[in-house]
Amino acid sequence: MNPSHSALAGRVRDLIGRHSRPTGLHAPAGSDPWERLALDLFSLQHDTVPAYQLFCRTRGCQPDSVRSWRQIPAVPTSAFQELELTAIAPEARARVFHSSGTTAQRPSRHVHHAGSLALYEDSLRPWFAAHLLATGPGFPVGFRPRCLALTPPPGLAPHSSLVHMLEVVNHDFGGAGSGFFGRIGPEAAWELDLDATTTALEVACAEGQPVLVLGTAFLFVHLVDALDAAGRRFDLPSGSRLMETGGYKGRSRTLSRTDLHAALADRLGPVRIVPEYGMSELSSQAYDTGDGFRFPPWVRVRTVHPETGHDVAEGEAGLLRIHDLANVWSVAALETGDLGRIRGDTFELLGRTTDAEPRGCSRMSR
Amino acid sequence: MTLHQLFLADLGPELELTGETLRQACFAVRRNRNDWLLRQRTRGVIEMVAHTAEQWLEPVNGFRALALRDGPKETGWNQATLARGLDAFFGSITVESLEALVAQDLGDTRRLDDFGAGSAEHRTGRTSLAVGPELLVHLTAGNLPNPALFSMILGLVTRSAQVVKCPRDASFLPRLFAHSLAATESKLGACLELVSWSHDERGAPALEDLLFAEADCVTATGSDAMLAGVRPRIPAKTRFVAHGHRLSFGLIAKESLSPYSRKRLVRAMADDITAWNQLGCLSPHAYYVEEEASGSTETLAEELAAELERREASEPRGPLGIAESALIRSRRSTFELRSAAVASLTDRNLNRSLFFEPPATVRLWASPDSTAWTVVLNHDARLQPSCLHRFIEIKPVRQWDEVLRFAEPHRHQVSTVAVAAPDDRLPDIARRLARWGAGRICPIGRMQEPPAAWRHDGRPALGDLVTWTDLES
Repeated sequence: MNPSHSALAGRVRDLIGRHSRPTGLHAPAGSDPWERLALDLFSLQHDTVPAYQLFCRTRGCQPDSVRSWRQIPAVPTSAFQELELTAIAPEARARVFHSSGTTAQRPSRHVHHAGSLALYEDSLRPWFAAHLLATGPGFPVGFRPRCLALTPPPGLAPHSSLVHMLEVVNHDFGGAGSGFFGRIGPEAAWELDLDATTTALEVACAEGQPVLVLGTAFLFVHLVDALDAAGRRFDLPSGSRLMETGGYKGRSRTLSRTDLHAALADRLGPVRIVPEYGMSELSSQAYDTGDGFRFPPWVRVRTVHPETGHDVAEGEAGLLRIHDLANVWSVAALETGDLGRIRGDTFELLGRTTDAEPRGCSRMSR
Repeated sequence: MTLHQLFLADLGPELELTGETLRQACFAVRRNRNDWLLRQRTRGVIEMVAHTAEQWLEPVNGFRALALRDGPKETGWNQATLARGLDAFFGSITVESLEALVAQDLGDTRRLDDFGAGSAEHRTGRTSLAVGPELLVHLTAGNLPNPALFSMILGLVTRSAQVVKCPRDASFLPRLFAHSLAATESKLGACLELVSWSHDERGAPALEDLLFAEADCVTATGSDAMLAGVRPRIPAKTRFVAHGHRLSFGLIAKESLSPYSRKRLVRAMADDITAWNQLGCLSPHAYYVEEEASGSTETLAEELAAELERREASEPRGPLGIAESALIRSRRSTFELRSAAVASLTDRNLNRSLFFEPPATVRLWASPDSTAWTVVLNHDARLQPSCLHRFIEIKPVRQWDEVLRFAEPHRHQVSTVAVAAPDDRLPDIARRLARWGAGRICPIGRMQEPPAAWRHDGRPALGDLVTWTDLES
């Protein structure tokens, strides 16, 4: 008899509680409670997520032969597009998070219920706070900043895990004036309510209290372009922070991260910009404080070679595999379509494998 | 053998190409063309080109040896693929094939030399002369060298001065070919200039605009986005010939699945898939198979997988970039899961629904521990562009003409349809494919070996470059 999902969620919560501050990823050799938990969770997920059991079988993997977390089969995130990778019975499903892929593709579907959402939230809070709410100059302990989410509000984007995350952030950490400043434009594309955004930025500047601005890369590009068109610039109060999650998906012109950050610093003043990496298939996020992305200690990352599936050496490029223990009711071991490079306990993103237009002899070279 | 510096592209990235240098280069090739190339007869130019091509087929030829020695590093092609591709290309360039091209597109082999008349012109009392552009500019793409090399040959036949702009990482083979032409006849080389830059380099747009202003005709090969960006920059006086994205597929009639014909068919399919590692516009993205007896397609797919495994031993695909491998891996995973789900339908332990929507039946054969080759039998017959590098889908259909519906979203991109069908069915199939929009129909196994006279993207390749002067009597 397996322990229940709730029992394992409780153990993950304990792990989260022990690591409320950023520390090294790896426990000391020998006893590894993380790995014990990963193996127990694998066994449970194998038995209770039929599509995962099927996947394990295609990889010739039996749970009793798995001795190390590295042997746990990692499901490609693209499988969430067609497989019901969940232990939650259809009648108990409360929310579904979709990936924000192009309209031509079927979106990924990550199913949640009250219990899995609660764990998702418990996972996101401490790591967000450690990176976006750390005390510093102009940012006192316990300060609740005005949080400006550039995305549409949850009512307009019920299937976005990012919007749900920002809702939790606004509710739990945001001060007066926090809110959502995006809306749904033509063809269901997200866009900024520019008047509301600039008004909120004006008020924040007048108050002189630090603000948090949270959005995707393409929404920040829209902001930069709109400020340029209006000939506006801001000097956000000292201690202000920006959280930028990658991704353009054809919704704006594409800027390199360096160029985007330079443009933002130019239009909004010398604010701290914290890149975030997350996806609808995960329950935890990674943040980059300047030396690479770092997941919380309840998540481990490895890189494998796409030809062989074997781990590549540290510093070499490979496909990112993310093992997120907060994914209790779905699948913890995921293989993303993202290429990356691991250095110590951080990783660098090198891009996404795109399944785009046919590449014939007309492919443009660099 | 090493290349001496003959063309601007030989100088590599250390050369800071200025507009003035490029203008002088245009002036020089145009002058050399007017002083010499324009005065040559078609037959003489064709003989020089065909001689050069013949030399490339000789194992001892220095240019060929250099291409095979440095090619893997410079182009990413492994030696076996490169050798086979170069043999197929240069083997198709002969005096006969080039004369056939001129005769086909212009009516007679001497139409570029003297005023002449076809029977219709005779009746209307006219003669005419075809004239090539004075300066022809080619913007070439990466990947396969064939389109760039053939563009240069077309320009020589039309007696044009030419500037060939190659991407930084794809100038190696065009340069070698240009050097080999110069080795045959140095004056030929003096009518050619090769330059190289990346489209995102600073200064690239200004250099391109200069070329467009100098040129009488510009040909461009590239992505649809690249062509859309170039088109509005071409001056009104300059002709623009664009070649965008194309894809190809195969079609196998049920009569071709007999055990006897199947053996040869499978080898021919493998020829198409391995030629240039499937990366050309003429390479197959999928094969449609008219299925009469259930399971006949499965046998074909299984045999194709075995053949691709043998080819991997004799002509390995070679290493891939990590992003390309990752894409194959991801596609394989998807099919692997669907295939397992289908196999598990009878399994009582898996009685809960696994899929949001049940997938079509799929079977997968794949090279172990690598992405070297993949065969997918997929009953979802919608045409899906392949991730290439020897990744092929086999799709059963009940009747061949269902293909027209399943490929409809890509209709305007289709170049070649390779067909295996009995003689009595081929005319009808071909006529309907032609009216649907396929520009070329060929036997399976010859997709990447179009004859020199083929009409590229359905247009007369030579005919599109020339202008006509009518002489009325």
